Amino acid sequence: MLVTEKKRNQPAGYAGALLRVDLTTGRLWEQPIDDEFARSYVGGTGMGARILYDEVGADVQWNDPENRLILATGPLAGTPTWGSGGLSVVTKGAITGGATSTQANGFFGANIKSSGFDGIVFQGRSDQWVYLYIHNGTAELRDASHLLGLDTWETQDHLYEELGLSGHQLSVYSIGPSGENLIRFAGIQGDYGHVASKNGCGAVMGSKRVKAVAIVRGNRGIYVADPRGVFRTADDIAYQMRTELPGQNFYLIGTLGGVTGLAPVGGLPIKNLTTNILPAEADMSKWEPMELREGFDHRGHQCNACGMHHCHMQVIRDGVHAGDVVDEPEYEGWVGAGWAWGCTDRTKVSWMNTQCDRAGVDVNEFGWVIGWVMECYEKEYLTRQDLGGIQAVWGDADAAYELLQMLCTRQGFGDVLAEGIKRAAEHLGGPAQDCAVYTMKGSSPRGHDHRALWPEMLDTCVSSTGTLESGGPTRPQELGLPATLQVQSPDDVPRQVALTLGRRHFEDSIGTCFFTTSTTIAAIAEAVSAVTGWNYTKDDAMYLGRRTAALMRAFNLRSGIGPELERPSARYGSTPVDGPAAGVSTAPHWDHMLDTWYELVEYDRESGRPLPELLDRLALPEVKAELWG
Amino acid sequence: MAAKRHVIVGGGTAAINAITSIREFDQGASDIVLVAEERPYSRMVLPYYLGKRISRSHVWTLSPDRLAALGVTTQIGRRATALDTAQQRVTLDNGETVDYDDLLIATGSSAVRAPVPGADLPGVHSFWTLEQADGLIAEVKAGSEVVLVGAGFISFTILNSLVKLGVRLTVIELAPTILPRMIDPNGAAIVTRWLEQHGVTVQTGVRLNAIEEVAGRKRLVLDGGGELSADVVIMATGIRPNLGWLEGAGLEMGRGILVDDHMRTSAPNVYAAGDVAEAFDRVTGQRALHAIEPAAMEHGRIAGANMAGVDRAHRGTVLMNIVDVLDLEIASFGLWDDADAESVAVEKPSQWAYRRLLWHGQGEAMTGAIIIGISEHLWATNDVGILKGLVQDGQPMGAWKRAMMDNPWELKRPFVATGHVGRLLQETVLGRPSTPADEVNAARWVSPEAAALAAQTEV
Amino acid sequence: MKVLHIEPEKCTGCLRCEVACSYVQSGEFNPSKSVIRVSAFERGHTSFSPYTCFQCAEGWCMTACPVEAIDISAVGAKEVQDDQCVGCKLCTLACPYGTIFYDPEREKAFKCNLCGGDPQCAHACPTQAITWIEDFTQDWTGAFAAQRSAADLARIGATNGR
Repeated sequence: MLVTEKKRNQPAGYAGALLRVDLTTGRLWEQPIDDEFARSYVGGTGMGARILYDEVGADVQWNDPENRLILATGPLAGTPTWGSGGLSVVTKGAITGGATSTQANGFFGANIKSSGFDGIVFQGRSDQWVYLYIHNGTAELRDASHLLGLDTWETQDHLYEELGLSGHQLSVYSIGPSGENLIRFAGIQGDYGHVASKNGCGAVMGSKRVKAVAIVRGNRGIYVADPRGVFRTADDIAYQMRTELPGQNFYLIGTLGGVTGLAPVGGLPIKNLTTNILPAEADMSKWEPMELREGFDHRGHQCNACGMHHCHMQVIRDGVHAGDVVDEPEYEGWVGAGWAWGCTDRTKVSWMNTQCDRAGVDVNEFGWVIGWVMECYEKEYLTRQDLGGIQAVWGDADAAYELLQMLCTRQGFGDVLAEGIKRAAEHLGGPAQDCAVYTMKGSSPRGHDHRALWPEMLDTCVSSTGTLESGGPTRPQELGLPATLQVQSPDDVPRQVALTLGRRHFEDSIGTCFFTTSTTIAAIAEAVSAVTGWNYTKDDAMYLGRRTAALMRAFNLRSGIGPELERPSARYGSTPVDGPAAGVSTAPHWDHMLDTWYELVEYDRESGRPLPELLDRLALPEVKAELWG
Repeated sequence: MAAKRHVIVGGGTAAINAITSIREFDQGASDIVLVAEERPYSRMVLPYYLGKRISRSHVWTLSPDRLAALGVTTQIGRRATALDTAQQRVTLDNGETVDYDDLLIATGSSAVRAPVPGADLPGVHSFWTLEQADGLIAEVKAGSEVVLVGAGFISFTILNSLVKLGVRLTVIELAPTILPRMIDPNGAAIVTRWLEQHGVTVQTGVRLNAIEEVAGRKRLVLDGGGELSADVVIMATGIRPNLGWLEGAGLEMGRGILVDDHMRTSAPNVYAAGDVAEAFDRVTGQRALHAIEPAAMEHGRIAGANMAGVDRAHRGTVLMNIVDVLDLEIASFGLWDDADAESVAVEKPSQWAYRRLLWHGQGEAMTGAIIIGISEHLWATNDVGILKGLVQDGQPMGAWKRAMMDNPWELKRPFVATGHVGRLLQETVLGRPSTPADEVNAARWVSPEAAALAAQTEV
Repeated sequence: MKVLHIEPEKCTGCLRCEVACSYVQSGEFNPSKSVIRVSAFERGHTSFSPYTCFQCAEGWCMTACPVEAIDISAVGAKEVQDDQCVGCKLCTLACPYGTIFYDPEREKAFKCNLCGGDPQCAHACPTQAITWIEDFTQDWTGAFAAQRSAADLARIGATNGR
């Protein structure tokens, strides 16, 4: 057991150490965070990218013990800033074999800092299944054999009982059966519904034989540089969230507006992108955001210090699961656990979404996998026999649930599906492969139909993180972009994606949730300043973001992932056959968009390498040396 | 008509609370005479004085100014030697007598030393009174070898201070486990391990046969031939209520003075409170001798109200104790030692955490509890007080009993969900909101002389 | 008299009150130093309610204190006077609500003092589950807790324990 000193000479806003865990030897130690490291890499994705780049060599595979799995938060975690429970996961992922940056919230960040650490770096592989227990500055690896096979919610329930804690006294981030069985799109789920789901980070955790991280809300204080400033900046951001778009949308209804908002522009994926026409049986009035809220009894389920009406628990009212408490699906959940494969019964979708969380799989990729299976079943590329008796009819939630069980345990064809949509499609090959939605890097898109939302398709394909890397620009003008963006313009789209690059890395480094920072970068930077005393600015934030992006890109190049893979699969890049975006296509513009993007981000178009001048500006001489000799 | 005269014998917690309680109700309309051997001080804080965490001046409770403000006439330095209940008269050690309209006996208790040869040697100390505390402070030094005889509550209240003073400490106890009247053997084992880990030697099941003076040091001869040597010996082997002066007074006695729920003794107009009073226990409804501060406080307040002519009944005291040793908190409540109880005990060894919950006679009301935990963990919960609330309220827990047996670590949910808060909020000791003691005074009390003067001025 | 009025139905369990309170109590963000504590009353992270000192009429902490270190402040809070408190913990034993605590670092008791009349928990609460208004102190959470925990309780009963 590691027992750390209560007093550290930590930078303001930090617990002051990363918890290092070598699972092979069982050794635990502290890696101090000094002022310089804090200022240079801030936290979360920033610190994670640095460690990944420094410590994981080219020949290390995602499931090798030498891979690192970094779970880190940042300086705002545990403060009054809304959504300050942030977790960012960085690793070499199971899907792309490249860098990963994927987030969850809940209470990870708040709890781990109150228990004495800013993050965890796992390396090695344990002989036995373990969970990591962190409590008031101590850490120990404990036997987890009794937790095997439990889903993520059961794991947390069980640890509550075992540790004699309840509610937010304990934060648990765990893998479900999917992670245990190395399902390539397994995520790390925490605190009943918060999932860092991308790039198979749960499979990496499983490969290390770590079932869970259990963090007690501890007794270590976080000193900040300017406490009054911390309250003021937190309240300022909260005010902006309540009163200004786009934050106000998230404040009021979270992401529930997505279904009815995207359907009219062709951005709602329906039946594996085979159509954009709403099915006749779908009563869209039931999908209005407030209708979704009113269709269930709700329970608040906010993350640390968050005042958004975003994360909720809901109680299933009718059907076989009546009375079950589930996590209200995000927009992405409504799609991945339903629309993407033709299920438009909101009660079934809501329940299925939580089953994905409990199983620990990425709900986006689940949607693309099930949609593809159902399409293949309809087209008879897959038969009932292939599927072990399952009749995978469009929209059949029971079938989808059975497929989920099958793939989580790698039974029958589940073993193929467990490899993720790209590998499963390649396994079948032929016309079946053409039906599958993925990028050539192996990742799959979020729960939107990007054929109508080009920035996201471009972003998903050029990303080094295993998912969207730039994200949408919250306040475009702040980054030199026009207030209104054209999402199907070959010139505007790469410009938007390129100029936004870095913002998300910054947001994912400070220990908050990007929904709760849907305001100006300047405002967020001010909050960082109040906590750390740094005088941080928008430019500092974007510098950190670009630097982190460059590190991840360099890491991916080292891992053999280059520009040749930056394109969508046949279906993903296809032309919508009907609906609002019928006939529009990225294909004719793809090279042009890549050219523009590369120019603007200052990466080499041919090799994908960040240009030497950029690396000089980003003060990354070691990266320059590696990439350019 | 002359003002009623209340005589209070004793200057401890019960007495102070009786005085403030009388004044809370009568605002000075009566005479109060306080007979106390010493200037009133708080025994509870002496361990902190020993540990040099507070100064000597911090121990005083009722200062002369405060006593004046409360309109109390004092006989300090006087000991009561006899009581005549027929004449309603107390005799003092200087032969003077004090007549009373009503009397409160609150003479507390004294430390008792194990009856072994050498127990009275110089360098063998008790720790109960301020004088004894002064005596010990003068002798104990960093590096001293100290043997604490007795591992009960009193012993544990000073253990912290002794260790922090840097002494080398050994604790010996006759009973098989430490804190035998506060926690069960499981809990005692945890505390013993904790002590040993912090450099305190603990020997239980050890009988002390004699203390000898050897070359300026003490040799403790143990049953079975063992020996310990020490610079300082502290005897914390129990306390006994100070009842000697009441011999022949004719009060009904048990282990202490039997009182009813108004703190009335068998003699008219005579009340008893604190360590001397065998009063009602909240949980059992039976009389018991509870030599604990909260009992003294409640007894004193109830007695004071009734002496002031306000009818107040006492619902009984919850037996409870809390002590910490080097940041390990140990507390017990109610019938923690009940053989006729259904109970559940759980432990988190790595956190030094332990709990036991008891349900008398398989009932649905929780009747006793033990809780142990490291300070920094324990006080991050509401659990210590909630255990008190559960025992105090004594309501059936229904199905929640099962839940609590299943998971004794979760107390707040059962406590709140069964409506304890609402019931407890209705309860006050005196039937009205309490007044902070230091705000109680005899503001409306006017001496006869002053009243006469005021009357003249008005004319 | 103003009281901390708590409406558990509005509480989302974000613990922002604890974050703010701990700062007032300790000068740092440290939930263990908060004197308002949010608990879950249903399995999973749901059905929360804040819980803090009720400023009860009895003032069990105040009357238990052997050195008169607990007063009633101008805004009606039972308030620990640090210079008087010796850290004997009798108050923590006497309080039947468990809302007065001991700080081993300072060796003092600590509890809600209503921030001198401007309670920061109420300010911090994003959903107005905690408000500082004229009312009588009461059991804010009992009925809510009973209702929200009913399903868990039934489950425990059904399995007769583990």
